[in-house]
Parts: sequence; C-alpha cells; structure tokens
Amino acid sequence: MSANAELIADLEAVVGGAYVLHEPEDLIVYEYDGSVDRGLPAAVVLPASTEEVSGVVRAARRHGAPIVPRGAGTGLSGGAIAHQGGVVAALTRMTRILEVDVDNRFAVVEPGVVNLDLTHAVERHGLYYAPDPSSQKACTIGGNVAENSGGPHCLAYGVTTNHVLGLEVVTADGSVHWLGGRTRESPGYDLRGVVVGSEGTLAIVTKAAVRLLRRPEAVKTLLAVFRELDDASAAVSGVIAAGIVPAAIEMMDELCIRAAEQSVHAGYPTGAGAVLLVEVDGLREAVDEEVDEVERVCLRYRPMEIRTATDPEERERLWAGRKGVLGALGRLAPNYYLVDGTIPRTRLVEVLSRIREISAETGLPIANLLHAGDGNLHPSVLFDERNPDEARTALEIGGRILELCLEVGGVLSGEHGIGLEKQEYFSLMFDDDDMESMAQLKPAFDTGDAFNPGKIFPAGASCVDVFQSAAVARAGAGAWV
Amino acid sequence: MTTIPGTAVRSVSEAVGAERLSGGEGRVIDGIRPAAAVAPESTEEVSRVLGAARRDGLGVAPRGGGTRMGLGGPPERYDLSLDTSRLDRVAAHNPADLTATVEAGITLDALRESLEEHGQFLAMDAPRPDLATVGGTLAAGAIGPLKWQFGSPRDLVVGMKVVQANGRVTKSGGRVVKNVSGYDMARLHVGGLGTLGVIVEVSFKLTPLPRRQATLLAAFDDSGPALSAGLAISNGWAAPLAMVTFDAEANRRGGFTGSARGYFLAVRLGGRPRTLDRQIDDCRRSCDRHGAVCLEVVDAAGTPVLWSKIRDLGWMDDDAPEYTARASVPSSRLPGLIAGLETGGPAPAVVAEPGYGSALVHWFADGERDAVSGAVADARVGAVHAGGSLVLERRPMGSRKIDPWGEVGGSLSIMRRMKERYDPARILNPGRFVGGI
Repeated sequence: MSANAELIADLEAVVGGAYVLHEPEDLIVYEYDGSVDRGLPAAVVLPASTEEVSGVVRAARRHGAPIVPRGAGTGLSGGAIAHQGGVVAALTRMTRILEVDVDNRFAVVEPGVVNLDLTHAVERHGLYYAPDPSSQKACTIGGNVAENSGGPHCLAYGVTTNHVLGLEVVTADGSVHWLGGRTRESPGYDLRGVVVGSEGTLAIVTKAAVRLLRRPEAVKTLLAVFRELDDASAAVSGVIAAGIVPAAIEMMDELCIRAAEQSVHAGYPTGAGAVLLVEVDGLREAVDEEVDEVERVCLRYRPMEIRTATDPEERERLWAGRKGVLGALGRLAPNYYLVDGTIPRTRLVEVLSRIREISAETGLPIANLLHAGDGNLHPSVLFDERNPDEARTALEIGGRILELCLEVGGVLSGEHGIGLEKQEYFSLMFDDDDMESMAQLKPAFDTGDAFNPGKIFPAGASCVDVFQSAAVARAGAGAWV
Repeated sequence: MTTIPGTAVRSVSEAVGAERLSGGEGRVIDGIRPAAAVAPESTEEVSRVLGAARRDGLGVAPRGGGTRMGLGGPPERYDLSLDTSRLDRVAAHNPADLTATVEAGITLDALRESLEEHGQFLAMDAPRPDLATVGGTLAAGAIGPLKWQFGSPRDLVVGMKVVQANGRVTKSGGRVVKNVSGYDMARLHVGGLGTLGVIVEVSFKLTPLPRRQATLLAAFDDSGPALSAGLAISNGWAAPLAMVTFDAEANRRGGFTGSARGYFLAVRLGGRPRTLDRQIDDCRRSCDRHGAVCLEVVDAAGTPVLWSKIRDLGWMDDDAPEYTARASVPSSRLPGLIAGLETGGPAPAVVAEPGYGSALVHWFADGERDAVSGAVADARVGAVHAGGSLVLERRPMGSRKIDPWGEVGGSLSIMRRMKERYDPARILNPGRFVGGI
C-alpha cells in the first residue's frame, strides 16, 4: 500500500469510508476557496464529532500530513487552501446547535453551523448573533472564529472575538481542551483570545460558546448620495468626530454605483459619485436622535439626496445596492482583485485620492467599497486575467494599496486575514522580534506545523512566485465582503 | 535559586544607572521585600532591566500604581520591583478617529482628564484611578462596573507593545479599530499578571462621552427581588452603562446611600435627554414590578460621585477587607450564589452585576479569621458549582490556605507551555499566576 493509501485507510477507520474523499474529481472541489490561491489536498475528511476530529488529527500526524481546517471556504486570503497538500478537515458536517441558553444569552454550537442559521435558530427568543460577514448565508462559525470575521455591523458591535466566550479545541496531539468558558471571565491566560483570528494554525475548533445579543428595539437606515467621493469620506469622518457610533457605515464609489445600478437598479441619481449607507439601532428615542444628527452632518457636505427608512422592507431596498455590488462588479470587468486593509478613519479622503492616482497611473479601474465607519477599505482592482500584464499589474496595485495603508498608520487586513495572500507583506508591518514572538505560539500550543502550515508568516521569495503565478482572481457572485 | 541582594542592585544599576534605583521598602509582596526597586523612563530602559534580570536570574514583579500587588500567589523569587509609573505619556490621541496610544504607566485619572477635554473616554474603570495605571489594570484584569456595557478591556485594546522576558520589545495589533493582521498577542497579557512580558504601551479604541448621565437607585427588601429587577432590566431595551446590586453591609461601609436597611440596585444610564428619560422610565417600571420599596434618581452631578464610591469599595486604605474575591458565573446563577454567601458564615459585603454574571465579595474579618477563610472556600465551591470561577483579588499576607486562582482545568498544560516559551528563566512574577505559573 502506498503512503497515501495508508493515510486514507487510517482516516477511513476514523470517520468511515463515505467521509474521506480522495478521488481527483472530489478533491478538486476543495482545491480553492474565496481567494486567488489553489492547492490540491491528498485527502478531504469530513468528521462528525469532536472525537472524530481528534482521531483525524492523530491519524494525519502519524503520517506526517499537515491538516488544513476548512469551513465553507468563503475566506478571501487563502486560509483554507491546502497549498502544501495534506489533509483538509472540512467541518461542514458538524452543524449542530448544541445549546441555546436564553437566560444567559449564549449558544454552544459546532463549527460547521452557518452564521445566519444561528441567528435564525435564536430569533424567536428576540436574540441574534451579532458578527455579520457579508457571506453570512454561507460562512461557518468555525471559519469566522479562525479569521476573526467582521461585517458591516461590527462598527458598533465588534468582531468575532468580542462575541466568543469559550472554545473547545483539538490540539495537534489530538487532545481536547476548553479555552475560556461560558461566563464572561475565566482565570488564566486568554487562550481563547489568541485562537480567535489564528487562521486555523493553532488548533481545530470543535465547539464554540458564543454570546447572543438582544434584537434592538428600533433600526433606522439612512442613505446619502454625494456627487464627490471626498464629500462622502468627509461626512464619515464628521459622523465619527461628532461622537456618534452607528451600527454600520458603508460606502461605495462611482464604479460600484454604476455596477449596482446595472444589476439591481437601486435607483441612485445620475452623476452620483458616492453613496453612504448609515444604520443606527437601539432604543427608539436614541435612533431618532442619532439619525437626525447623522443627517445634519451629511447636509454639511452637499448631498444630492438623502433617504431614510425604518420598516424592514424599505431598509432592505436601501441596502440592496450595497449587498449586490460585489456580484455586480463582474459586469464591469471579467476579474477583480479585492484588497482588504484598514486605515485610521481620519485618513479616508487622502487614501481614496491616492488610490485614484494609482488607478490613473496604471490604467486599471479600482472600485471602492468600504466599511467606512471603521476605516476598513475594500478596493477592488478590475482586470482581465487573460491579459497577463493586467493580472500582474492588479497584484502590484494590491501591494501598493497595502503599503499605502501601512504608511498612513493602518494595517494589512481588517477582516480577511493574512493567509497566503498577504504573508509576503507581513514583514512590512512587523519586525523580526514581533514575528518571532508570534511564532512562539505554535510551540506553546505544541502545534509544530501540524495545522495550516506555511500561512501568515513570510515564506520566503520562492513562495512569492508561486503566489503570483497562482493568482487567478475569479470574478462573480461567489464572493462576499 | 537564592540571589544575594547585592547582585540585583549591581546588575540593574549597570543596566540603567543607579539613579533609577531605590530601596525595596514599600514594595513588599506577601511579606517578601525585594532588594531594589527600579523605575525605568523608557521602553529601552525596561528592555535593559529585563535583559539584566534574565542574565542574573532575578525575580521581577512589574508594578503600576501598586493597587493590586495582593493578587496572585506568593512569589517564588522576588528581587526587583519594576515600576512603570514613569512611562506616563499619552503617545498619541486622535480624537476624530476615537483612538489613543498611551504608555502603560499613565494613571487612569490622568488619562481620563486628557481624553475628557475632547468629549471622549476609555471605557475601562478600576478602583483607585488616582493610583491605578493602564498597564497594571490590564495585567491584573482589575476592572470596574463599566464592564457591564463595555465588556472586558481586552476588547478595547487594538494594539500593544510589550517587553518580553528576554528584553525584546515586541508589538502586535495596530492603531486602528479593525484588524486581523497576525496573532492577537495582547490577549495573553490582559489578565496575564505580567508573567509573559511587561506591557509598555497600549493602543485603545475610545468611546464618546454620553451627553447626559443619571443613576436610578432602587431599594428592595432583600437580594432576590433586587437581582430579579436587574435581570429584567438587562433583558429590556435600556442599555445601562453599569448596573450593580449591593447589600446593606456594602452600603454601610461605602456610604452609597443614606438608607440603613434593604438591598439595593443602582443602574447607571446615559444618552441624549429623551433617550435618558425613556431609559429611566423603563428601569423604574422594572423595579416597581419587582417590589422596589424606594426609588431615587441621582442626577448628572451625583452620578460620578456615587459610582466612584461603588468602584472603590474595599480598595480604600483605611477600610481594607481581609479577603476580596471576584466570582464569575452564568448570570442566572447569580441569585443562588449570593443566597449562599448570605447564609454561609461571616457575612461579606457584596457588589454584584446582574446580567453580566459577576460579583465582588469583600470579607472584612473582625477577629474571625478561620471562619472567614472557611466562608471564602465555600464561596469558591459555590461559584464552581454554578459553572463559574472565583478569583481572590486580595488575601491575608502569607495565607496559603486557598489557591487564589482556583482550578483552570485541562488548558493549564497549554498555559504552562506559554510560560516556558515566553519566560523560560521564570523571571517575571514567578509562582504568582494560575497553577503556580
């Protein structure tokens, strides 16, 4: 029996033959995620319980095979790519909601539970799970934990790490540990806090105890259309500086507006250069007062139009353009490369103008979609992969934008992680001592290179080439931000 | 290993100069007096001090304002007190971005004053903000009532600079409010009691100050209805900044209200005028429904005064408890935990947070030491039984009867490896953290 066949046999002994995939036509489905990278695993295994995950880890380790944990594969930085082969542990069969504690407002779920399914399961109690990545209809809680996912509403409510009370994890020796607990505080190091956002490199999450929030009494959405992008950016800074922290502030530029108009007919006026979407929630009185104030701030920047909505259907219409925009970008170009970075909110005007300059200089259009309230940029470079020069330029532009983010005091990723995509930029943000200190977490978890090896940290020049040659960005409705 | 006092003095004065050194008196932990205290004036100096300590195997206890030196077990070795109070600058405050970067030794009061000018605050409070520093508060996890609304301060930290035990200066995170770039190392240092490194600089996200504030103060016959009213409020629409219940003993010692008898609920509320009024009405109704015998609204001027008293109970020098414990349990188990405290032995003063699930319990022993330590041990059992934990924030000097941290379960093996990785020579607070880390 070949080494690979022995590995597969051992995995089958843990989960049963039906849940180990190793035929090329089955593996190819797991070759890519939402990012630009690809990698073919030796096997994909679908465990159904903590015990099976533990067994899978032991079996893979016996064969020296790396393990890449995977949720729904919606990540945009290559976190779920088996670029060194090995075993993909797909957690999509672990979809049970094990406990909903209404009194104490938490739920214990398996990692394969889809983000929005959790909210659906608890909404009859007037509760919801707050982190709302735009992929929430597909992405899983386990994946969210790995990437510390955000979403439009994390401006007010925080990202995944602010909502995880405890995690059950399987470490590289196959043992099972609870990190954190079901209460707000637990003694000892906050191991839960370092596993969240560790991109599947430290442990495999097999259960998560997450906080549930009470639905707000009132929600109001304001849409403001500006002729100039700079005015919209200034309005965002104005809202924050006025001491208002809305639930969400989203922004789209002219290219996004054009794409959204073509696909969902959102009804934006002609000549619109930027759309701002502001959502305020909370107590009825607070919502009214704050939306009035947001409107006053927007009026200072010559809006073409302001609309507000309170009932769910009307609000949904205001959001339609924003929610459809990424899929709609496919109408403007065959491919796009979506960049994720965060800057201080006060630097929006400057950075967006520099991005315009980069676009003019390189000749490739860049559509800007922003979680503007927290300074999280998503410039999307439009290009055609059939033209190798354009593809290369698109990647170069991505790098220049990230360098720009760092230059103004920002960071490499707001919500998508480093993964494979940005590992070569990591050393622009952190020096050798910083990276060494982070890298020590792996031996502290006794992980070695068992989980998701070769991610986050710079891999050296050779891997840049691999990355760039593999970079074939796919456009279409399959990606979310 | 024992260290001759002269070594510590010589090694540290070579590293940063004798003028940074002082004697170890006033720096006693658990009856142990260090050979020296050092107060570095820069990150670079902290790095040199730790480098020297590591070379000579000195036991180092980092210290901010010194309010929490009673937290943790007795030190294995203690040669040097590392005082961060001279690292007290606001490195950057970007008001329009609601972020600030500050050195670890700045006191909470000094930072508050600096931010207040811009209508902002750091949503992290701790007892004795006149002394307590940002770094010390984070390392001790010593947080006050504002956690009800704003959660653990680890959620407010967006970036951190730490000097590791090997003297290396490392940073993680950034200065922006949303970031997934690399491991979130700051999480290990918040609540880590300085055992993995010394926090020297922290970037925070800030919060706009509420336009107006008020406190609803309600009295009940006993703890049950007070806690139920609190739970009802936390399940309603109002969004308190802080909410606590306290008993007559806490009230008597802290002088929170004039009433001598009863069990109390205090709800701190903020917002624009109409929002504030609506919240007061909602909370008032919840209190009425649960049998409040007396209701009072403390105005904007009185609110900070009242909450300073609540926050500082048990931390004033003239009225220090024998034991202070912080219990964390699922919120629904809080009434049971408190009922247990009321019936089991010497009655403590209890300030609890319904809806958050924590209680600060102070035992003021008046000559009943054994009975008190028995009651503390029982309280630990009660908290663990309720699915939570109980940490001693203060205990009598030299007392080793009760593990200050309690059991942390199976993940202790990972925590031990953390210590081995980040401080293999065990120079930082050796022996004082969970499981003897």
